[in-house]
Amino acid sequence: MNTRAYLFAVALSCPFISTAVAQESPGGQQELRFEGYPDAPEIEVIPRKDDLFFYPCTQCHSFLEPNADIRELAAPHDINIDHGRGRIWCLSCHNLDHRDTLRTLLDEPVDFDAAHLVCGGCHANRHKDWYFGAHGKRVVNWQGERTVYNCTHCHDPHSPAIKPRAPKPSPPVRAGLQLESGVEHEKSSVWESQEEQEEQ
Amino acid sequence: MSSDDTAGKGGGSFDKARRNFLRGLGIGTVAAVAQPAWGGQTFQDVFADFFQKDYRRMAPEEIEAALERIERKAQARYDVEIDCQNTPPQPGVVYGYAINISRCKGYRDCVHACVKENNLGRDSQVQYIRVLQMDQGDFNLEHSDHYYEPETVPVEGKHYLPVQCMQCDDPPCVKACPVQATWMEPDGIVVIDYDWCIGCRYCMAACPYWARHFNWTTPEIPAEEMNTDTHYLGNRPRPRGVVEKCHFCIHRTRKGRQPACMEACPTGSRIFGNLLDPDSEIRYVLSNKQVFRLKEDLGTEPKFWYFSD
Amino acid sequence: MTVIHFILDSIREMFRGPREYWMWLATLSIVVVFGAWRYSEQLTNGLVVTGMSDQVSWGFYISNFAFLVGIAAAAVLLVIPAYIFDRKDIKDVVLVGEGMAVAAVTMAILFVIADLGRPDRLWHMLPGIGRFNWPVSLLAWDVLVLSVYFLLNLAIPFYVLYSRYRGKEPVFRRYFPFVVIAMFWAISIHTVTAFLFSANPARPFWHTSLLGPRFIASAFASGPALIIITLQIIRKVTSYHVSQTVIDTLALIMTIALQISLFFVGAELFTDFYNEGAHAASIHYLFFGLGGFDSLKSWIWLALALNVVAVVILMIHPLRQKTLMLNIACVLTFIGVWIEKGMGLVIPGFVPTPLGEIFEYLPTSVELSVAAGIWAFGILIFTLVAKAVIAIEQGKVRYTPKGLSYTQ
Repeated sequence: MNTRAYLFAVALSCPFISTAVAQESPGGQQELRFEGYPDAPEIEVIPRKDDLFFYPCTQCHSFLEPNADIRELAAPHDINIDHGRGRIWCLSCHNLDHRDTLRTLLDEPVDFDAAHLVCGGCHANRHKDWYFGAHGKRVVNWQGERTVYNCTHCHDPHSPAIKPRAPKPSPPVRAGLQLESGVEHEKSSVWESQEEQEEQ
Repeated sequence: MSSDDTAGKGGGSFDKARRNFLRGLGIGTVAAVAQPAWGGQTFQDVFADFFQKDYRRMAPEEIEAALERIERKAQARYDVEIDCQNTPPQPGVVYGYAINISRCKGYRDCVHACVKENNLGRDSQVQYIRVLQMDQGDFNLEHSDHYYEPETVPVEGKHYLPVQCMQCDDPPCVKACPVQATWMEPDGIVVIDYDWCIGCRYCMAACPYWARHFNWTTPEIPAEEMNTDTHYLGNRPRPRGVVEKCHFCIHRTRKGRQPACMEACPTGSRIFGNLLDPDSEIRYVLSNKQVFRLKEDLGTEPKFWYFSD
Repeated sequence: MTVIHFILDSIREMFRGPREYWMWLATLSIVVVFGAWRYSEQLTNGLVVTGMSDQVSWGFYISNFAFLVGIAAAAVLLVIPAYIFDRKDIKDVVLVGEGMAVAAVTMAILFVIADLGRPDRLWHMLPGIGRFNWPVSLLAWDVLVLSVYFLLNLAIPFYVLYSRYRGKEPVFRRYFPFVVIAMFWAISIHTVTAFLFSANPARPFWHTSLLGPRFIASAFASGPALIIITLQIIRKVTSYHVSQTVIDTLALIMTIALQISLFFVGAELFTDFYNEGAHAASIHYLFFGLGGFDSLKSWIWLALALNVVAVVILMIHPLRQKTLMLNIACVLTFIGVWIEKGMGLVIPGFVPTPLGEIFEYLPTSVELSVAAGIWAFGILIFTLVAKAVIAIEQGKVRYTPKGLSYTQ
């Protein structure tokens, strides 16, 4: 196969491969640093580590025995994993060998601030959408430097589904309509009718 | 003025009375002109307001003067010091908006953020954004519920559709206006000159998206909730009797900030950006997602899309 | 100058008459003042005193406006027979018809002004110092055609009466071109008003090519109804001769127009209800109610009933010839068309809203009072104008160089 065809094949497959570069970290671990999709604009991901209560994990786990058995954990990690319907457990994402990182499906260490690489391992389409801006939340500006939230900012990784919450108040009826002197308005029937529909 | 230089009784006292009257009239006129007495505004401001030209024909100095009058009016009416600007459109930018309707959960955070950001009258109760709740499987707007207030959202079996001004590329409202008080700016925002609008509401009849709203009363905004960063064509305090609508937070977006609704949305369902920039998120959505627009068949060419994952 | 004398003498004629005449003027004036007083409430507090909302943003005022433009256009039904078909009997009363057109256009314009959120900014519409969005905006077109129609219907009678006032016959070829223009212009004012509504695909209820024809047909039914009643009143309270053939011709026109108008209603009902889609929601609301809201239902069925009864009376030749039956038919037609073309046209256009919301509308006492005031003002204008016109036509007011003299 000649060089041109080879490069063409590589170029074609590029959008489907997330290029990742392994990088030496101070602790000697190889941490995955995400280079992004080709042709994608630069993004800056807001770090998460400061928001993590138990980080760094090695505070405790440097002197605790690693245990790879699938089991229910005791406090403070007695979390009910509502993610994947029983197909994943803690060590699917958390790194047994390097506690202060997460792990990809290929067992590469991933910094907590790059948690999206873990999520993207299974949720590849969503990851691509997030990276290009069709999912997730950008902060402050629509123009210029693009700063986005990490997946885990909105989705609790142990129970990622967004929980229902109360809505803000419904729209008001035009000011003064109810108070108009002389003529009785039937505007209140708007409310009654809606309630009737809901009762049905 | 001495009272003892009266020549004769009748004529002299009449002269004096007349002089006093004219003097009082003169002082009174000066006072009336200079004092804030016309609903809190000075007579000069009222006069200048009345004869103010429309935005597109004002010279830069006239616009500056108009901005200052608006600031003075806000001070008089709401007792707040606002900053009214006239940020021009950015070249090479046309705004587009997309909402991910599989992400929208009907919180209405956008609605209320918009009310605060854009100094919408709490009393006149205008809201630029309206979120519709519909049954899953049903996209008939006539079956929608605008006034939903369940315990939590999203309600099982319902989906949500936020609607606001679509900033059409072929806007029927712009054609309808008899005084050209509404037009499309170069960056794609359909704006209204609130000081030119005569309040005939023909544009409201022409709009297929129910995006335009009218100030039936004078907007009341509590001083502490007033957003002081304003734009002449956008969120500066508006008078009674004129039409207003979403303007893509012109005071923010022209400076690169997100519109308030986008910033407020907790689910990140809202995507905004420059349609002319091929690397923008909005362009990615339009190229990679199944997008649609409301009432596409009317040919209004909205710059507001919807898509689902 | 003679013109000044003409104007002054005409005004003097307007304000002399028997006691009953003064009581009529006084009654109208009281209603006008009452309307103006309540309008001042609207100016002080804003349009919030009306029953309109963002959902139904046009209401009673625009309903009356649409109806009155039709009445104004119907003056052409006297103009055409008078000048084109050279009907002498109609020529005798054509100026009364043009006076009615003037009053109707005045009322129409007053209704639009009453509906404005910022009437203090009316000057914004003036070309040059304001911005007049012509030819793009239909509202700009409407303002233009109504203003010109108003001037035409002032200018032509002015010339004719002024000539007669000076004891001369008006020179036909001098004013006939304007008459021809006025004929076409009458059709145009009502077509433009119809286009104002039908130009909006946002409102499926209005967005029909049939709206223009419907407007003309209903105008040519309700206009003659009013003219017939008015001419009979004039015949009774003044010594002005109104030939019965005038009434007969107008009655015939009214019959045909009402038949066509009802046919159009039938066509709309069939088209919308045979395969009922979302675009028929408004007409469904109007005739049958929608989602439990049906405040217009009884009104529209009443209007339809009135019109049907009227057309039956009119179609039966012996009945149409009887004065009482004809007058009943006229009153029924007038009221029926007022309902159908007024509230029955404007309100359903807004229900449901483009986002599917059903929100009803009811006029408030302010709207009703202001409307009554404007109607009274129009009738007052017409009374005064007719008084002067009749007097001059009867030769009772003539110019004498030495000052006013009544030849009566």
